[in-house]
Amino acid sequence: MADFEAMAGGVIAGDFNRVAELTRQAVGEGVEPVEIIGQGLIKGMNVVGARFKAGEMYVPEVMMAARAMKAGMEIVKPLIAESDLPTAGKVIIGTVAGDLHDIGKNLVGMMMESAGMDVVNLGVDISPEKFAQAVREHKPDIVALSALLTTTMLSMKETIEVLQEEGLRGAVKVIVGGAPVTGDFAVEIGADGWAPDAASAKDLALELAGKK
Amino acid sequence: MDRYVRARYQVNQTPLFQMLSADQCGEIYLAALEILQRTGAKVYDRQSREILAKAGCWVEEELVRFPVGLTEWAVKNAPSKIVIYNREGQVAMSLQEGNTYYGPGPTNTYHRDPYTGERRKALLSDTENVGRVCDALPHIDYAMDLGTPTGVTNTLADLYAFSALVKNTRKPIVHWGFDIEQYQDILDIGVAVAGGLDKLQQKPFFCLYSEPSSPLLHSREAIAKAVFAAQNRIPIVYTPCVMLGATTPATLAGTIAMGVAESLVGIVVSQLIREGSPIIMGGVYAIMDMKTTVFSYGSPEFHILQAGIAEVARYMGIPVFGTAGCTDSHTMDGQAAGEAAMSILIAAQAGANLVHDVGYTGSGSCGSLEQLVLGDEIIGMVRRFMRGMVIDDETLALDVVDKVGPGGHFLGEDHTMKHFKSETWFPTLFNRMRYHAWKEEAKGSSMGERIKDKLHAILANHQAPALPGDVLQKIEQIIIRAEEREASKKKRR
Ligand code: B12
Repeated sequence: MADFEAMAGGVIAGDFNRVAELTRQAVGEGVEPVEIIGQGLIKGMNVVGARFKAGEMYVPEVMMAARAMKAGMEIVKPLIAESDLPTAGKVIIGTVAGDLHDIGKNLVGMMMESAGMDVVNLGVDISPEKFAQAVREHKPDIVALSALLTTTMLSMKETIEVLQEEGLRGAVKVIVGGAPVTGDFAVEIGADGWAPDAASAKDLALELAGKK
Repeated sequence: MDRYVRARYQVNQTPLFQMLSADQCGEIYLAALEILQRTGAKVYDRQSREILAKAGCWVEEELVRFPVGLTEWAVKNAPSKIVIYNREGQVAMSLQEGNTYYGPGPTNTYHRDPYTGERRKALLSDTENVGRVCDALPHIDYAMDLGTPTGVTNTLADLYAFSALVKNTRKPIVHWGFDIEQYQDILDIGVAVAGGLDKLQQKPFFCLYSEPSSPLLHSREAIAKAVFAAQNRIPIVYTPCVMLGATTPATLAGTIAMGVAESLVGIVVSQLIREGSPIIMGGVYAIMDMKTTVFSYGSPEFHILQAGIAEVARYMGIPVFGTAGCTDSHTMDGQAAGEAAMSILIAAQAGANLVHDVGYTGSGSCGSLEQLVLGDEIIGMVRRFMRGMVIDDETLALDVVDKVGPGGHFLGEDHTMKHFKSETWFPTLFNRMRYHAWKEEAKGSSMGERIKDKLHAILANHQAPALPGDVLQKIEQIIIRAEEREASKKKRR
């Protein structure tokens, strides 16, 4: 019988060698890959998310836990058809045009990834057109826009407009964030959501992707 | 004749401390040189890359690797002393070893309303107030904007802010701008005030400001600003915001080495444009709090990093931009005072030269005039501390001791009269009243309330002398010209 508890514990401890070993063992025993993901890997990561939010874990520990979860995922992924792969949703994230602040956006992306979301990080200084292009290419559930400057916040509005013009707006949820961005502003520009920090951004994305 | 004279007498007149030895400073500097030669930095400006390639850098697309010898050459060529004047052409700040000056910080998202305490977007009237308050406070040596004004053409907020500052303070200004077009406008205002470009270059009353993006990225604007400053012989601060554990290694030494490497790119470019160009390295070295993900302006590591960068810069012989008087607190409270006091003291003890961010609250998100007034009081206290003590026959005062003898008192002595005012510092806000006086005369006020009263009195009464009418007119014309330029840009789009 696969030791899901130990697997989840390995994820929480960020011990990727142990997680890989336990995953390989479970696969060898013929445990369903989907079960390994759900009962072991994601379960551990959910604890990590909750503990981080409660201030009981630190960012680098969350990163290590995500890395450990990934080590397990890499082993089971080839065993299941893409369509059966339980994903918490796909996100494209980027810092808007004219803005070079990227660490907050990276944190948000990593936090979403650690919750089992599929995240495409476009980088910084991303124009509305580039966002639209990426939506066409990656077909995400969610487009996440980051801005740290009052001036570049305006580009969030433009990005939403361009998505609208290109007929892509209906297919995605748009969320916005970054230090000067507020919930009121999100409503004003017609975004679907706003969050003040990485942990709540992840919760928001999960909710909007309908996986929570 | 002096009796207390000794040969080879070591004098520690100011209580500087030294965190790093010269060898350790050297080690960090050498590490920064290696980062630039081995890893290199991305420079997103073609013209600058061409200049760097011609000087012997290895350039592959955007990535530039800097030969150690070139970087060392640039550091040796950059001045170790930069004199900044005031609006009236008098010496205001000699940025050099041993001197520490304080001022506010730039471009906050929010501004704390000086009357309601509400956190809101900054307005041009706030920038005017910042100019006036900086002008009035005795220990604030220069002005910065403490909030990007809204309610004006947003691509010209920097220009409006500069114009508001220059009209409202005689003190020097350190100023950020979007790009070199606005820097040209700002330079033109400077020329109008100084009465000619050559006069401004000889006696600059403002510094420009540019930020590379850690880790190891130099945006087109960032490097273009350094080029612009060097071409126009205006001092510039080239200062990264490094974030320990996030954009730099999680170790203090590695963080300082990387921050130094960031500034070195600006130094090399500025010296290649013109040898001897005045450039100030920096700046804001902080941790990312691994629980809240906030860029912290009050951690103890912030102070170690500040001391480290100041000492390494001194070792390199380059004036350094420090950070102090700021807080992570969102309001005027004990945390705000404690964090401000600690950073202001450490900046002075470590010998940072141009120290900014007095008045920053909420981890840099909100500019506060109350925090600035608090900072001014603390700087007064720190400056007294830094004067240390003089030891000679006059101050040892053995003749007075002998005259008063056992018993008696010193209150009526000429010696006391001569020295008590300069030896001791008198607070304007810290309370030293006895309980009853405090209760009755000061109405039992808190420090926060007295800060507000002082601030409101300045806002009600203090006004810097107006600039001459023809200068004001020229400033108006420069703003009109900029507005036309921005309007035509919009049309073209
Ligand atoms: C580090 C920093 C920089 C670095 C960035 C390096 C990098 N690799 O990212 C550098 C030096 C390049 C930089 C440059 C500039 N900066 Co800067 N910078 C900062 C600083 C100090 C910290 C930002 C940060 O990284 N914080 C830590 C991260 C983890 O937090 P965060 O970004 O807020 O992200 C969190 C949340 O906002 C949220 N979030 C973020 N994105 C998203 C997205 C979504 C969808 C969601 C839901 C949530 C979300 O979750 C994140 C994690 O919890 C802030 C001050 C501050 N306290 O914010 C100023 C600040 C943002 N910068 C500012 C400015 C003005 C500039 C400059 C114009 C120069 C200047 N200072 O004058 C240039 C602009 C360059 C450009 N074109 O972008 C101002 C912005 C003012 C404004 N509102 O317009 C600030 C507030 C500082 C200030 N007072 O002047 N900066």
